[in-house]
Amino acid sequence: MISNEDRVAASRAITRRTALRRVAAGAGITATTLWLNRLDLLAQDPAMHTHVAAAASAQAAAAPFTPKVLTRAQLESVATLAELIIPTTSTPGARAALVDRFVDNLMANAQPADKDRFLTGLAWIDTRSNALYSKPFTGATPEQQTELLTKLAADSGHAAEDAPGVPFFTAIKGMTIAGYYSTKIGLEQELGDDGQLFNPVFVGCTHPEHQI
Amino acid sequence: MQVIKSPKVYPVIVIGSGAAGGMAAWNLTQKGAQVLMLDAGDKFDRGKFWTHVRPWEARERRAKGEAPQQFFLDTKEQPYKVPEGKHFDLTRVWGLGGKTNVWGRVSLRLSEMDFKAAASDGWEIPWPISYADISPYYDKVEQLIGVCGGDDDSETLPGSKFLQPAPAPRCAERLMQKGAKSLGIDIVAGRRANMTKPTRGSPPCHYCGGCGAGCDTASFFCSADHLIPFAVKTGKLEIRPNAVAARVLVDDKGKARGVQYFDRKTGAEHEVLGKVVIVAASCVDSTRILLNSKSTAYPNGIGNSSDVIGRYLCEQIRLNAVGWMPALAGGPTRNDRGIGGEHIYLRRFNHKAPHKRDYLRGFGVQFWNTGASDTGAHNGSETIPGFGAALKTEIKRRHPAWVEIHPFGEALPYANNRITVGGAGEDRYGVPLMTISYEVGENERKMTEHMADTIEELAKASGVELVNYKRGALDRNGSAIHEHGTCRMGEDPKRSALNKFNQMHDVPNVFVVDGSSFASATEKNPTLTILSLSWRATDYLADQMKQGVL
Repeated sequence: MISNEDRVAASRAITRRTALRRVAAGAGITATTLWLNRLDLLAQDPAMHTHVAAAASAQAAAAPFTPKVLTRAQLESVATLAELIIPTTSTPGARAALVDRFVDNLMANAQPADKDRFLTGLAWIDTRSNALYSKPFTGATPEQQTELLTKLAADSGHAAEDAPGVPFFTAIKGMTIAGYYSTKIGLEQELGDDGQLFNPVFVGCTHPEHQI
Repeated sequence: MQVIKSPKVYPVIVIGSGAAGGMAAWNLTQKGAQVLMLDAGDKFDRGKFWTHVRPWEARERRAKGEAPQQFFLDTKEQPYKVPEGKHFDLTRVWGLGGKTNVWGRVSLRLSEMDFKAAASDGWEIPWPISYADISPYYDKVEQLIGVCGGDDDSETLPGSKFLQPAPAPRCAERLMQKGAKSLGIDIVAGRRANMTKPTRGSPPCHYCGGCGAGCDTASFFCSADHLIPFAVKTGKLEIRPNAVAARVLVDDKGKARGVQYFDRKTGAEHEVLGKVVIVAASCVDSTRILLNSKSTAYPNGIGNSSDVIGRYLCEQIRLNAVGWMPALAGGPTRNDRGIGGEHIYLRRFNHKAPHKRDYLRGFGVQFWNTGASDTGAHNGSETIPGFGAALKTEIKRRHPAWVEIHPFGEALPYANNRITVGGAGEDRYGVPLMTISYEVGENERKMTEHMADTIEELAKASGVELVNYKRGALDRNGSAIHEHGTCRMGEDPKRSALNKFNQMHDVPNVFVVDGSSFASATEKNPTLTILSLSWRATDYLADQMKQGVL
């Protein structure tokens, strides 16, 4: 009963209903095409924040993990891409935050066509890397990896050979942001959330320059 | 299958347990009346509220097979049809307290301008009541449920002496207040049913911001916490859980005699008898029940000789705009959780020069997710170009600086925006499902332009850089979750279904006390008015019962 156009509109707008239903979820992401939007909405769904070990602790990272969708090689590609997008700086990056497992779980819950497009994108990255550097993406040097992502991240002027990878990059960037910043590492260590949920008073803004 | 009946006749049957039904049951039992409440679900389990569960903890718990309390009705259980080319997203909560378990809590008084809007602009019928009729009830409701707010008072948003202290605004909220002021627009303290002082046995709000998952300390108003337990304490309230009301039953004199319902667990059909039936199942479900209550006396649904029931569905229009304030970027990450929503409200201002334009009614503006998000990077972070350390630095820099601007506008009542039954199949109990046919009109489109201009002007004046902004892209129909108008009150029985006490013109022992009774939607969140109308209607009903009229 719902037209395709409506579905597009629905996935663009973060509706109040969606907001209500993703209370505990991470960041919202908006992208430009329908399949990306569907994956974005999925990434924000609290129900999807599952089967990813807690807080990416050393213990959790060391615990045995069996991916649901991705192969070990694909998982490593995702981890590599995610770490390039949100790298280790003075705080841990996306790899330590186990964003690869977050993406694996998203794929397990994605519509089959969306999952296929994502996996096609993942395969494309290797093909393109092979063409450019004679190595699959994870085998390329960090400089080569950065060079390839820089092509995909450009606002415009993509070479025809790079165009197929652009929506894929948008997708994995959005998932990485949603996954990373909803971990303890991302939210508390990196962004500085104080984690305080029992606050006897709400202080609010005290800056003299902000007052009316 | 055999119908399960009992000879017991209840003085009053209330269908629904949310704001409308909870208030009706509370008020009537305080006054000594025996009430049977039919609730379509169970009491929600506070032990399963994930109010304080951080996103990573949620992952851990879900991995172990745990899940939080599910509040929302799965549409698959009770589907509805939408005509091709239209859309309407219906959100329902079946269970004790209904939507008040997870509501947005914004509690705004309607004004005399709202009650008299149709009388002055001629669009559809005016309300049969004035502000003076309802303001004593607003006073009482605010004291009962605990609403925080400021000391402002205007012709579009009447003030109140009964508000609890408002939480201080966040930085970005202060800056938007300043920006709005330069445009000649007032942004005042928000009003929300979060208790900022201990209220009726509940501790005050602890500013965790997790209200949408249900409050673990019952520090915001929920019918299941703040009305129903007090009604139960009187010994006068009987609650029948998992009772999905299907029809109001009618006797041969055309009066209501009870309610037919189906047990949600067993599917068994039941009939309960009552002298008075109060319909309070929320706007859309109440309408479906009324339209399905067909009889020889009421071939198109009980109390529907006017043919207004189901028509004039109004659902507010909304825009979303996300942006960030460069002036706040790079600052420290503050604990911006607060009362789980904005602490400010931009009240309607378009009623006079220089803001007045060529359309009817008005809009107000609410603000979500201001400041540092406590669940992840803010929606919009993905629009920051590039990747790597620079992206990470910029996401952190903007983290304290995000704002969301959300105008809510009144949708006019139109006869063809309607709920119908028949032709949409049947539910699991064999009861006809409904079709919701809804679209916005020219007035709403003009208002949308003004709402978009306001977003853009406010953003400019207060230093907000909008991201992903699509001018005038209305949210999905239904997403305000403020349905009104499909069983409206009015003076004229030919143009309305209910009188000024929410009593059916056609059937004096049926009252409809939820949002369906509104004659217009206004731009304001409806719950405070639903509570007030339900209290007022049941005061009247109790008097009628005492006099032996009902």
